[in-house]
Amino acid sequence: MEGLAILLSPLIAFLLIALFGARIGDMASALLCVLGGAFSFLFSLWATSRALSEPFSVKLYDFLPLDAYNLSLGLFFDPLSSVTASVVTFVATVIFIYSIGYMHNLFGQWTFKFYAYLSLFLFAMLLIVLSDNLLGIFFGWEGVGLASYLLIGYFHTQKKASNASLEAFVLNRVGDWFFLFGIVASFYLFGSLSILDIFARVSQVDKALLGLACLLLFGGAVGKSGQLPLHTWLPNAMAGPTPVSALLHAATMVAAGVYMVARLYPMFESAPESLRVVALVGGLTALFAALAATSHTDIKKIIAFSTMSQLGLMFLALGLGDRMSAMFHLTTHAFFKALLFLSAGSVIHAFHHHVHYIYETGRLKRYMPITYASFLVGALALAGIFPFSGFWSKDLIVATAYEKSFLWGVLVSVVSFMTAYYIFREGFVMFHGKEHFRHEQKEEPHESPSVMVVPMLVLSVMAVVAGFFEGWYGGILGVHKELHVDIAVLSVVVGLAGILVAYLVYVKGLIDPQKAYEALKPLHTTLKEQFFTERFYHRGIARGYMGLSRVLFIAGDRVFIDGLINLLNFLYFRVVKFLWMKLDIMLVDLFVNGLAKASYWTGRKVRNIQTGLLNNYVSFLLLGVVFILGVIIYGMR
Amino acid sequence: MTIEKAYLLISIFLFLSGLLGVIIRKNLITLLISTELMLNGVNLALVSVDRIVGGIEGQVFALFILAVAASEVAVGLGLIIALFRLRGYEGSSEITHLRD
Repeated sequence: MEGLAILLSPLIAFLLIALFGARIGDMASALLCVLGGAFSFLFSLWATSRALSEPFSVKLYDFLPLDAYNLSLGLFFDPLSSVTASVVTFVATVIFIYSIGYMHNLFGQWTFKFYAYLSLFLFAMLLIVLSDNLLGIFFGWEGVGLASYLLIGYFHTQKKASNASLEAFVLNRVGDWFFLFGIVASFYLFGSLSILDIFARVSQVDKALLGLACLLLFGGAVGKSGQLPLHTWLPNAMAGPTPVSALLHAATMVAAGVYMVARLYPMFESAPESLRVVALVGGLTALFAALAATSHTDIKKIIAFSTMSQLGLMFLALGLGDRMSAMFHLTTHAFFKALLFLSAGSVIHAFHHHVHYIYETGRLKRYMPITYASFLVGALALAGIFPFSGFWSKDLIVATAYEKSFLWGVLVSVVSFMTAYYIFREGFVMFHGKEHFRHEQKEEPHESPSVMVVPMLVLSVMAVVAGFFEGWYGGILGVHKELHVDIAVLSVVVGLAGILVAYLVYVKGLIDPQKAYEALKPLHTTLKEQFFTERFYHRGIARGYMGLSRVLFIAGDRVFIDGLINLLNFLYFRVVKFLWMKLDIMLVDLFVNGLAKASYWTGRKVRNIQTGLLNNYVSFLLLGVVFILGVIIYGMR
Repeated sequence: MTIEKAYLLISIFLFLSGLLGVIIRKNLITLLISTELMLNGVNLALVSVDRIVGGIEGQVFALFILAVAASEVAVGLGLIIALFRLRGYEGSSEITHLRD
C-alpha cells in the first residue's frame, strides 16, 4: 500500500489545492504542492529500495470485468519504473520549489491554479511511470496531456499562449489516437492489457500484427515526445511559464514517449522492423531539431529544440536496441535540461518576464554569477564534456550508434557537435558579449532569490554527479557496458569543437554573426522555420481545414440544411393554415357552436315546464305513473 | 258482479276524485282533504282485495295507513295554518317560490 502513496500524495495535493486553494492562499498552495512532490519522492525512494531486490506489484481494483480478462488498475514496481519515478518526483519537487520564486510576482492572481495543475501533472506522470497495464498508462497519458494543455495556456490572456496550448493539445491528440489504436491492437493480439501478461506471450503472436501494434504505440510516443512529424507543438509550448517548460517539456512529460517505448521494449524487440522506424524517426528528429536550434534566438526555444534533439537521440538508441543507454540518457537529461531551463527562467525572471530573446540580454555573467555557473554546468553536461553527466550517457549512445553502423555514428557525432555549438552560442550571447539590454532596461538585472537559486544548485550537483551512476544503472537494468576510450575521446573532442566554434564567433568575434546571418539568410530562414514544416502545418493544414470547414458551413449548413428547414417550415405553415381555415373554422367550430346554441335553446324552452305550481307537478306525476304502468302492463302482456 | 268488485270500483272512484281534486283545486285545505280522499280510496282497495284473496295483511296495512294518515293530516294542517298566519297564503298558486 505504500506504493500507492507515491501516486496519492500529489493527487491529494491537487484535490486540496483545487478545492481550497482560493481560501488558503497561493503561498500555502505552493507549499502543499511541494509537500505532495516531496512525500512522493520519499515513497519513491522506499519503493526503489524494495524493487531493486525484488520487483513487486500493487493491485488497486478491478476496473472493468470482461469475459476472459479483467481490466484492472494496478502499479508495477521494477527497477526501471521505480528509479524513473524517483527521478521524476525529485526533479518535480525541485522545480516546484523553484516555481515559488518564479511565480511570486503573480501571487494573488489565482496562482493556486498553477500549483493545482502541477500536482495533477505529477499524479498523471507517475501513473504513466508506474502503471502495470496499458490502460493505466493511457489514463496517465491523457492526464499529462490535459495538464500540459492547462499549463502551456496558463497565461491565457496572451494569444500566443492559448494558441500554443491548443496546438499542443491537437497534435497530442493525433498521437493519442495512434496510442489508443495501439492499445486496441495489443488487446486484440494478447487478450490482455497487463504488461507482464504481454511480455509472457510476446513470442507467441503474429509478428506482422505485433509490428503494427508497436508502430501504433510508437505513434503515441511521437506525439508526446514532439518527434517528427508531430513536432511543432514543442517549441511553441515555450509560451508557458518556465517551470512548466522545465518540468513538462524537458524533464518528464516529453520523456514519457521514450519511457513508454522502453517500458514496452520486449514488444518492440520481438518486432525488429518497428525498431527500425523508431531509430529512423529518432535520428531524423535529432538532426532536424539540432539544425533548428542553431538558428533560433528565443531563450527558451533553443533549449526546447535541444530537448527535441536529445529525445531523438534517445529514440535512436532505443531503435538501435540499446534500452539502457536511452533510459540513462533520459535520466541525466532530466537533470541537466531542467537545470538549463531553470537558468533560462532565472534570466527571464531577472528581466521581469519582458525579455525573451538572447540578443536582448548579454554580459549577465557580471550580474548573475550563480545563474551563469548553473547554465554553464547544464550546457557542459548537454555538450557531453567529461566528467559531466551528459558525457556518460551520451557516450553510451554514440558507442551504440558506431557499433550498429558508421552512418548512425556520424549522425550522432554531427548532432553532438551542433548541440555543443547552439547551447554555447546561447550561453555566450546571454552571459558574455555586449550588454544589449542597456537601452531598454533602466535598472540592472539582479541575481534571483534563493528560493530559485537553491533548486538550481541542487540540480547542478545532480547534473554533475548523475553520470557516475552509469554502472549502477546498467546493473539494475541487467546490462553492462564498457566505456570505449576512443569513442569517449572522440565525443569530447566533438563537443569541445562545437564550444570552440561558438566561442570564436560569439566571444572573440572572429566572424561577425550579423554578416554571417545576411550571407546565409535563406539557409537561416529554412532552419529557423524548421524546414517550413510549422508554416505548412499552420498555413496549409490548419488554415486549410478552417477554410474547408467554412466552405462546408456555407454550402452545407447555410444553403442546404437551412434551406431545407426553411422550405419545410414554409410548407408546413401553409398546410396548417389551410387546415385551420377549412377544418377548424368550418367544421369543428360549427359543431361546437351548434351544440352550445342547441343546449341553450332547449334550456330556454324546457325551463317553462318548471312552474312551481303544486297542481302541475301532480299532473306530471300522474302522467309519469300512467306511463310507467302502461309500460309494465305492456311488458306483462 | 260481486260486492267486492263493487267496492273496488268505489275505491277507484274515490282515488280518482281525490286526484282530480289535487290537480284542479287551489285551496290548500281542499288539497289536504283530497289527499285524504285518495288515501282512503287506497285503504278501501286494500281491504276489498283482502276480502277477495282471503288474506289479512291488507287489513293490517289499512290500519297502519289510517294511523299514519291521521298524524300526517295533523302535521299538514299545522303547516297550512302556520303558512296562512305568517304569510296570509291560502292558495297553491301563491307558493311558487321553489321555482326560482
